[in-house]
Amino acid sequence: MNAIDSVRDILTRNMRQSGIVIAFIAISVLFAVLNPNFLSPGNLTNIVLQYSYILILAIGMVMIIVAGQIDLSVGSVVALTGAVSAVVVVRNGMPWYVGVIAALVVGALVGVWQGFWVAYVGIPGFIVTLAGMLLFRGLTFLVLDNASLSPFGGIYQDIANGFLNGLLGGYGFDVFTLVVFAIGVVGYAIGQWRTRQGKIAYQQTVESMPLFVVKLLAVAALVMWFGYQLSISRGLPVVLIILAVLIIAYTLITQKSVFGRHVYAVGGNVHAAELSGVKVKKINFWIFVNMGVLASVAGIVYSSRMNGAQPGAGNMFELDAIAACFIGGASTTGGVGRVGGAMIGGLIMAVMSNGMQLMGVPQSMQQVVKGLVLLLAVAFDIYNKRRASVAR
Amino acid sequence: MNERIPLLALREVSRYFGAVEALVDVDLEVHAHEVVALVGDNGAGKSTLAKVIAGVLAPSTGQVEIGGEPVSVSSPSVANHLGVASVFQDLAVCENLDVTANVFLGQELRSRGGMLHDGEMETETRRLLDHLTVRIPSVRTPLRHLSAGQRQAVAIARTLIGSPRIVVLDEPTAALSVAQTAEVLTHIERLRELGLGVILISHNLNDVRAVADRVEVLRHGRNNGSFPGSEPHETILAAITGAI
Repeated sequence: MNAIDSVRDILTRNMRQSGIVIAFIAISVLFAVLNPNFLSPGNLTNIVLQYSYILILAIGMVMIIVAGQIDLSVGSVVALTGAVSAVVVVRNGMPWYVGVIAALVVGALVGVWQGFWVAYVGIPGFIVTLAGMLLFRGLTFLVLDNASLSPFGGIYQDIANGFLNGLLGGYGFDVFTLVVFAIGVVGYAIGQWRTRQGKIAYQQTVESMPLFVVKLLAVAALVMWFGYQLSISRGLPVVLIILAVLIIAYTLITQKSVFGRHVYAVGGNVHAAELSGVKVKKINFWIFVNMGVLASVAGIVYSSRMNGAQPGAGNMFELDAIAACFIGGASTTGGVGRVGGAMIGGLIMAVMSNGMQLMGVPQSMQQVVKGLVLLLAVAFDIYNKRRASVAR
Repeated sequence: MNERIPLLALREVSRYFGAVEALVDVDLEVHAHEVVALVGDNGAGKSTLAKVIAGVLAPSTGQVEIGGEPVSVSSPSVANHLGVASVFQDLAVCENLDVTANVFLGQELRSRGGMLHDGEMETETRRLLDHLTVRIPSVRTPLRHLSAGQRQAVAIARTLIGSPRIVVLDEPTAALSVAQTAEVLTHIERLRELGLGVILISHNLNDVRAVADRVEVLRHGRNNGSFPGSEPHETILAAITGAI
């Protein structure tokens, strides 16, 4: 392979990832121009609070999609786990953490149930989770006796509505928020630097030093600006901390652990994986258990944000989560997709919904636009893939 | 036949699928530093035999011996453990993973803390590829960006993880161009130089005669002759078609 080929190779390989980031920035700028309130501190905080549970679902969903499966039941699981938590905390007056634990346990059990049917009975995830979607929705109605249950109040409500503010003081802005964001930026810079050094050590092409520094500074500026906006609004949302921890943990699991590697292998070529000694059934089982637990985390956050549980909660969440994965570069045939990509995909959905809401676009048009964006994103993916295979 | 204990020996191995006799009383021996070609017409039982050796299929009757010891190869990972590594026709690699990930798939090195030890795996992969004289631009290239010949080379390289003694290659040159085939044949010769016993399953008699020390013919699931690699084309062909 000569130099031109390898440059083209790198471009086509990174096009999907960088394309999605550019699209995200373009959409944000568009809404910022159309609506001055879009980038206001209050609204940025709002976006985080409003879509955190979709992002949490998308983390689990991207692993399922990478393994070549799909989970249609997460919306119902969000409702069921929120309902169980409400019954424990609101109806029976138990402390908030008992509700959280109960929801997590129910989520794990749901995952075990679905994982069993997919992995050990061999029913496609599409069917199992379609059944689960009905099953768990029905159970939610049963658990709640067909009525809403509220309010949680207290600490439980703060999970999704609470802020860390004033821990380190500050005049008109929260120093603690800025410190947390600064640590994040430094961590990101170190990570990028080490990746770059690694590539140089393996004699791979890297962007030139000035370009690299400019990229780092741009990211740092953007992140710190976002942090500052949060800090002059209400401080650091608790749910953002939960989300950040999950994103970092799952990025490590998918990119650096043996389990994550095997998930990609199963999605890439299940026969090769099996013959190589990958325990395919175990992988399929655990990704569904994992999804169940993450759906229960989303259920906790959602019920906390709503300060109660409704039988109809979480309706259509599965579609938002799945759309986030595909917009974020996951492949419909499995084997390709990243947690980071799914997060950007989720943010694109979030920014579009929020921006259109601010502009007073009717619900009907919002759905039309979101549908088209999903279609175009996947079409772009397929177009890219076809071109790559022709190039070879 | 020499006096050494064969690395791998099959004694009267049979395999039935219901009433179908895929293999009937097949004998096969493979020694170190030897490439044994397994040839036969479609449906002669070559791939079934490869799967029995690789632990994908269990023999219905008969005995498999490795290093002179009777063994039961009940799964691919048991086979790996016993020193048997296999490359199967068409389903050898994951195209979405990079070279290193494919080479170490199912046998990843872990650092302390149980995470992937990428650095060490990359170094080892490059060492293996050098060993086989495989030229691949980067061990971080996803397999979908490689040519069919390079993919086959990666599949062959992955058999060398965990120092195996026997390598089974099922139609490694089936989908390759002439130049790529020549390269894969060089890799096979390297495996022999490294002291492994190689079982090469192929349709292509030219490939077989280029590298094999011995040619074993299967016909309708039975042994139908054993020839030195230098045997003329016609004789082997006659054994395959049943003319002798």
